[in-house]
Amino acid sequence: MEEMWQIVHIPDNPPIPPDQQPTVDAIASLIDPLFANTLVRRLNQIAPLENLRHVKRVHKKFVQGVHYTGKTQLSVILCLASQNGNQLDSIQNDVQELMNSYQLSPFITKVGLSLFILTRSASMLHHQKKSGKNNASYGQHLIIPQLSITGFSQEDSQSVFSFMKYAIQLAKSGDNLEVNAAVIVDPSVKQVIAKACDQTCSCYNPKNEITLETSCSEKLETSVCHGISGGALSCKEHSNGFPAKSEQLYTGVSCLCPWGWAEQESDMSLRYCHPLRHASIVAIESSAARDRLLFPSSGKTQDNKSFEMDHMQSCSAASPAKRQKTNSTNIQVNYGEDNLDLNGEGCSRSLSARPYLCTGFDMYLVWEPCIMCAMALVHQRIRRIFFAYPNPKAGALGSVHRLQGQRSLNHHYAVFRVLVGTDI
Amino acid sequence: MEYSERMEYYRQNRAQWHSRAVLANEALDSLEVPVGCVIVEDGKVIASGRNQTNETRNATRHAEMEAIDTLLEQWREQRLSKSQVAEKFSKCRLYVTCEPCIMCAAALSFIGIREVFYGCANDKFGGCGSILSLNSSSSEPQTSGGAPKGKGFKCTGGIMATEAVSLFRSFYEQGNPNAPKPHRPLAQQATQ
Repeated sequence: MEEMWQIVHIPDNPPIPPDQQPTVDAIASLIDPLFANTLVRRLNQIAPLENLRHVKRVHKKFVQGVHYTGKTQLSVILCLASQNGNQLDSIQNDVQELMNSYQLSPFITKVGLSLFILTRSASMLHHQKKSGKNNASYGQHLIIPQLSITGFSQEDSQSVFSFMKYAIQLAKSGDNLEVNAAVIVDPSVKQVIAKACDQTCSCYNPKNEITLETSCSEKLETSVCHGISGGALSCKEHSNGFPAKSEQLYTGVSCLCPWGWAEQESDMSLRYCHPLRHASIVAIESSAARDRLLFPSSGKTQDNKSFEMDHMQSCSAASPAKRQKTNSTNIQVNYGEDNLDLNGEGCSRSLSARPYLCTGFDMYLVWEPCIMCAMALVHQRIRRIFFAYPNPKAGALGSVHRLQGQRSLNHHYAVFRVLVGTDI
Repeated sequence: MEYSERMEYYRQNRAQWHSRAVLANEALDSLEVPVGCVIVEDGKVIASGRNQTNETRNATRHAEMEAIDTLLEQWREQRLSKSQVAEKFSKCRLYVTCEPCIMCAAALSFIGIREVFYGCANDKFGGCGSILSLNSSSSEPQTSGGAPKGKGFKCTGGIMATEAVSLFRSFYEQGNPNAPKPHRPLAQQATQ
């Protein structure tokens, strides 16, 4: 049922198409598979590829024979070519000796310089077909899966999918996704911290509330199961990434048309409107209210100051509230062990467990957020953002802007798109 | 800009500066990062705001957001319609001690503000030229088919920037007790 669900990392930098990859010239040769191991071991000693550790030295290719007999052809990168002069003449002596003793005939090839991220897509395969016989491009199609299909365990993926389903349920009125929904989650205890829908119009019945009372009992499974059994789910995804409806119907999603609030429905009614109450902003407000309720500080600011200082010290002494900074390389966070037993006492956290803003929390959004919301989530120190549908005209996490790649900011979150399965 | 226009502009800015500085100082006294702003319609201050991020534990409660919320609340009580609200915003100018951050610059663009004046630049988060230029509509995608286009706004920085910077300096010298990890040690607490 859920085979189609997938988590895709949205990198900090736009992916470079394979044919625009920066490359360097390298000297390679076809080799007898029998000697592959020996050769690679020896080459790694005498001509290591220092700055190209992501590149596999050996490239395997299947060659169609004349009488429908195929064979596997192996080639190996001997060394990098020199930048000037006759490249084949510049081979260092010990590599030259190796070539002589194994009777290798060298040719020039290209090696991709940067570790880029791409899924195994059709365009990728197409590119592989295009690359010529002796121009096998090392590095380009050998380095794929590192980050694209991310290092989520089965359990973590299921949890991500469940929370995304929950968000989509929130955004639905009837069968339509007419608003955006935002769900802030503490992944260490798999608990909803705050949830909200767009509130740019009062006609919409706001669903957000401070989940202080409910959140402790409201475990993920119950809420999601309830949502799924309760609703008729028939929103299929189109190939363009949008749910099966034409794009025009989503003008009610604040982040998709952030400038459009005044133009919607040219009525002159007196309905209250607040053009900035996008789902993320409301959810952040809700989580802040929860924080103030759970961890009240004494009213006086002077006292507050010393309290904050104490808190700071406990934080730096490896308190659980100070969670590790996340970047794309350590997205596998060990949820399970150290925090699961907190479930029972989730309602009575001590002051020392007070997190700084939303440090360590994840945000689930149905639609890719606009730049205002994306920056708000930076300010509030969200750790990871998951969204289901892209926002081509105003999206700030890859579509129009790519805020996660903005190095000047004081906080960085990891961004993932959840490809929604057909069961939604 | 014409000379007379520029004089008028500085005269107004002087007047607005005072209220902004009072607000920023108020923020400073409440241990908030000192940013204050006023919104002006026809030369008259109609709303003001100061940074309240620490007190609310909501890091989005910047001065600009506070002031916008105040206005929207006023207009809700006056039962203005959406188009009237939009028209009102298009006549408003915002004066703020520090360049609006990316979030606030986007918000100001969304509401369709007429013009923004700021003090010092914000070279880490600035959304009006420093990091992104959300005030220039061309940075937004040109859409077709009747979809709403991004609105830009006129933006002028460097207005009484030294005063704004010294406000920040006095704040960071006392140490920001609410920073997640103090970048520099807090000053010895001499307060009662």
